[in-house]
Amino acid sequence: MKEFLTHSAEETTELGRRLAPHLSPPKLVVLRGELGAGKTTLIKGIAEGFQAASQENVTSPTFTLIHEYRGPGVIVYHVDLYRVDTQRELDTLGLDDLFDENSVVLIEWGEKFLRFLRERDVEITLERLGENDRKIIFTTEARRHGEK
Amino acid sequence: MRDAYILGIETSCDETAAAVVRSGEQVVSNVVASQIATHWPYGGVVPELASREHLRAIVPVVRRALEEAGQTYQSVDALAVTQGPGLAGALLVGVSYAKALAFALDKPLIAVNHLEGHIHAVLLEEKQKGNHEVRFPVLALVVSGGHTHLYLADEQERGWTYENVGQTRDDAAGEAFDKVAKLLALGYPGGPVIDKLARHGNREAVNFPPAHIKGRPRPGRGRRRVGADTPGMTFDFSYSGIKTAVLRYIETHNMHPAIEQRRRALAEMQSPKADGVLKLCDRQTLDLVASFQRAMVGDLVGKTLNAAGELDVATLFITGGVAANSELRAAFEREAAMAGLPAYFPSRPLSTDNAAMIAAAAYPKFLARDFAGLELSAEASLPLK
Repeated sequence: MKEFLTHSAEETTELGRRLAPHLSPPKLVVLRGELGAGKTTLIKGIAEGFQAASQENVTSPTFTLIHEYRGPGVIVYHVDLYRVDTQRELDTLGLDDLFDENSVVLIEWGEKFLRFLRERDVEITLERLGENDRKIIFTTEARRHGEK
Repeated sequence: MRDAYILGIETSCDETAAAVVRSGEQVVSNVVASQIATHWPYGGVVPELASREHLRAIVPVVRRALEEAGQTYQSVDALAVTQGPGLAGALLVGVSYAKALAFALDKPLIAVNHLEGHIHAVLLEEKQKGNHEVRFPVLALVVSGGHTHLYLADEQERGWTYENVGQTRDDAAGEAFDKVAKLLALGYPGGPVIDKLARHGNREAVNFPPAHIKGRPRPGRGRRRVGADTPGMTFDFSYSGIKTAVLRYIETHNMHPAIEQRRRALAEMQSPKADGVLKLCDRQTLDLVASFQRAMVGDLVGKTLNAAGELDVATLFITGGVAANSELRAAFEREAAMAGLPAYFPSRPLSTDNAAMIAAAAYPKFLARDFAGLELSAEASLPLK
């Protein structure tokens, strides 16, 4: 577990850039944090770190559900389940099609579904400490032997 | 030249839609799956979120669009389909179906960008009203749940050209409406209900500072027209901040108990209408909603008019789901008139996602014989160029 403090949106994006090398594919990453915590801001940096997109072009997928950014040897998927509430709706999304050797799947609001909490490789929690200050906790899930 | 009937198919996001449009100027039929869910025998209600549901809906929706138009698969002149941007799995359904149909019928297939469709929705309705005098270049604001884009659109001899001169850096405008509605427990989608509630609140009650665009300017865009002394000038938007500001306001003003009460009351109501929601809102909530909408409208209108001035355009188009917002329309009409610019909006059915706009956008390509091959594939992040 690693903990980071950022003091502006720019610093949060910069942290995302530095985290990218620790997210080599394949990865399933769950991002937790309330509205306005900076999840998309962090993902701007991660996508840039993978050379998959420039930060200006990474926007919120709340309505569009899945955004896809292609970089060298990697496809970064930015998924937002904010408006997905039921298992049936989740099924219609076909997220299984995204998991691949080259993919880094970043899911906002993934904790709404038990499955993603079970299957995640990394969890990133963003906590708002003040107007611009954020605490960002990066946790790698150690896979225990004998567990599926 | 004789009339051309184009069958349009749109499956980029939630709606399965098909339509027949005559020569890019008259809607002959316009079918959207969610509207006919209760009348159509494919079982159950089409959910809001329907990327795989497109598979079930597409055949009956297309059939119905043809029937309502008095056309057949054989009688239409061409097929048009949304290639992107949108949800990959959803787009794939429309593209695969259209390709198969075009191949089987031996008809030309035309690929259309969803955003281009929204722009042509405006032009289609103006032509339908008999207005053939739209002047170019046009600055088009495409504003919806998934998009907030400014395009400089021009009609050239070889077809249309589009230049992206601004876009949101984070949340789309419609998304901000939806999220604020959800924070305040006003229901989904947020746009229409906020529009109605805002009329009952004080727009001056809460001051939301204008969105500040952080980060570096995006290079290269808009350079052609604004001159060499202002390279890389863009007219970008940002709506993540105002959503957070509303959340802070709710927290600092202890609005949670009232919101929870409303959430429970709404959960017990069968498909609540705006009037029902209004009865559950106190003065503070209505003032917040009215102030939020005023800030959103002020920012959208201000940035768009600023861009229109800098780029020296002849006409404004405002299109996409949020273009149905009444305060946005009124503000655009007022401000554009003051700037001496004609401003056009689509009617409500053509504001939200539909296939008539796809068939209309396909018409200039039909004339230019700009057809897609069978190698056409869906592109989730297709840019409009």
